[in-house]
Amino acid sequence: MDVGIDLEGSFIQSVTDLGVPAGAAKAIWMPLPMILMLIGATVGVLVTTWLERKISAAAQQRIGPEYMGPFGLLVPVADGLKLVFKEDVVPAKADPLLFTLGPILVVIPVFLSYLIVPFGQNLAIANVGTGVFLWIALSSVQPIGLLMSGYASNNKYSLLGGLRAAAQSISYEIPLALAVLAIAMMSNSLSTIDIVEQQSEYGLLGWNVWRQPIGFIIFWIAALAECERLPFDLPEAEEELVAGYQTEYAGMKFGLFYLGSYVNLVLSALLVAVLYLGGWSLPIPISMVAGWLGVSETSPWLEIIDASLGITMTILKAYFLVFLAILLRWTVPRVRIDQLLDLGWKFLLPVALVNLLLTAALKLAFPIAFGG
Amino acid sequence: MLKFLKQVGDYAKEAVQAGQYIGQGLAVTFDHMRRRPITVQYPYEKLIPSERFRGRIHFEFDKCIACEVCVRVCPINLPVVDWTFDRASKKKKLNHYSIDFGVCIFCGNCVEYCPTNCLSMTEEYDLCTYDRHQLNYDNVALGRLPYKVVDDPMVTPLRELVYLPKGVMDPHGVPASSRRAGTIPAELDEQEAASN
Repeated sequence: MDVGIDLEGSFIQSVTDLGVPAGAAKAIWMPLPMILMLIGATVGVLVTTWLERKISAAAQQRIGPEYMGPFGLLVPVADGLKLVFKEDVVPAKADPLLFTLGPILVVIPVFLSYLIVPFGQNLAIANVGTGVFLWIALSSVQPIGLLMSGYASNNKYSLLGGLRAAAQSISYEIPLALAVLAIAMMSNSLSTIDIVEQQSEYGLLGWNVWRQPIGFIIFWIAALAECERLPFDLPEAEEELVAGYQTEYAGMKFGLFYLGSYVNLVLSALLVAVLYLGGWSLPIPISMVAGWLGVSETSPWLEIIDASLGITMTILKAYFLVFLAILLRWTVPRVRIDQLLDLGWKFLLPVALVNLLLTAALKLAFPIAFGG
Repeated sequence: MLKFLKQVGDYAKEAVQAGQYIGQGLAVTFDHMRRRPITVQYPYEKLIPSERFRGRIHFEFDKCIACEVCVRVCPINLPVVDWTFDRASKKKKLNHYSIDFGVCIFCGNCVEYCPTNCLSMTEEYDLCTYDRHQLNYDNVALGRLPYKVVDDPMVTPLRELVYLPKGVMDPHGVPASSRRAGTIPAELDEQEAASN
């Protein structure tokens, strides 16, 4: 099996060559990808907020931000700076501890979930065996934070928003998990890297979308609901709930919610790309191209190109989905709370179950095509 | 059993239909991204008001005969005409004249009925002040002419939709020589002269 670039291995190798024990070398290595991922996720959010503004403007035939830097690229920076310098208000009757803990609990699991997002064969923070399961587990910590901040704000709107957020997150977690389960069944693994591996054989045709079209749609709808994106943004429905659980928040605590929601969107898009759109694999497998050109697959320059193309592909796919989410935002009106729960429990859940059973049946019937 | 299957079938059909509708909606939003904005970046770019534009009213003090027709035709009797009867010349002498543009609706009735044409409409529309009382223009303020958009070096003048060539929606980058759609008044005159 071709492993591609192994940055971790070569880093540890070169540090141990300097006379550092292997354990220490690994300890030196470990924070590097984590910091890189943190920075990457934050920059991803900045780009996403800018895209949100620009694409929304385009969909409404406006220009959007224009004068803050070239093409308004500095708007997210100005946004962030504003939030950092704003006064941090804690309402007098609010519970200060829970009020502070809420946004933190919302943001940390999202960033932690980046642990399992692979950008290449060896370009992930950790190849966790439980992979996607870890992500699902982490994402169910989030509603606790939302409920906490909603309740601690001592505000009716906040409480209602928090309750809605919790109800929504919990009910859409199930179809999400079932859709992931079908994928896991097909790839015989929960590890995100294995899941991509299993799709990358035949290029575009091998991607999971073709084998799991229903699962893809269910996953995307549920992911949008988990992110509280527009068709499902009723926890913060501004027309009725002011801003939901964020009503009492200002300054950096609000910034954390804002950051969290966009990081979550990018993360969901990345995971859709990984689970259904072949992650880092190109539409045409690189080994095939190498075969045509008569280049050895293990030549170092090809591996570097492969790795950078892989990262680009993952990000490109993720941002295509972000684009779709923004477009959906201006297409679909917000659902009511009863419609939301109907859609979650009465439509997505049974369809996801049927999809899972169908996948199992197909796996038994055609073990070659469905990873038997 | 059959009834249940039919229900499932109907449900599936409805779901597919809903999906189709969302797809249609997405196509509309996607199509809108292709249509470019025709935004006029206001303080830097301004539309050239048309000839018939009803902007702030201009008043010529010396022409006014203080007949108060403007007051009578005004829907709210807005113009304030302050005059005294001059016994020597046996004529009304106008002392002050003012219109409050915070209240005026720019209907243009006064301009229409003024017997001496001392009232006229300008192309000025951005009457912004920090205090609404400043919008009460006296005869001196009414006598000022606005700065023309085309003469302002700080402003890029843009043509309005009707003054653009046929089929053009965006006034940006339209050459000054390009003529507008339809026949222009001068041509109409010519046609009339030719037919006579």
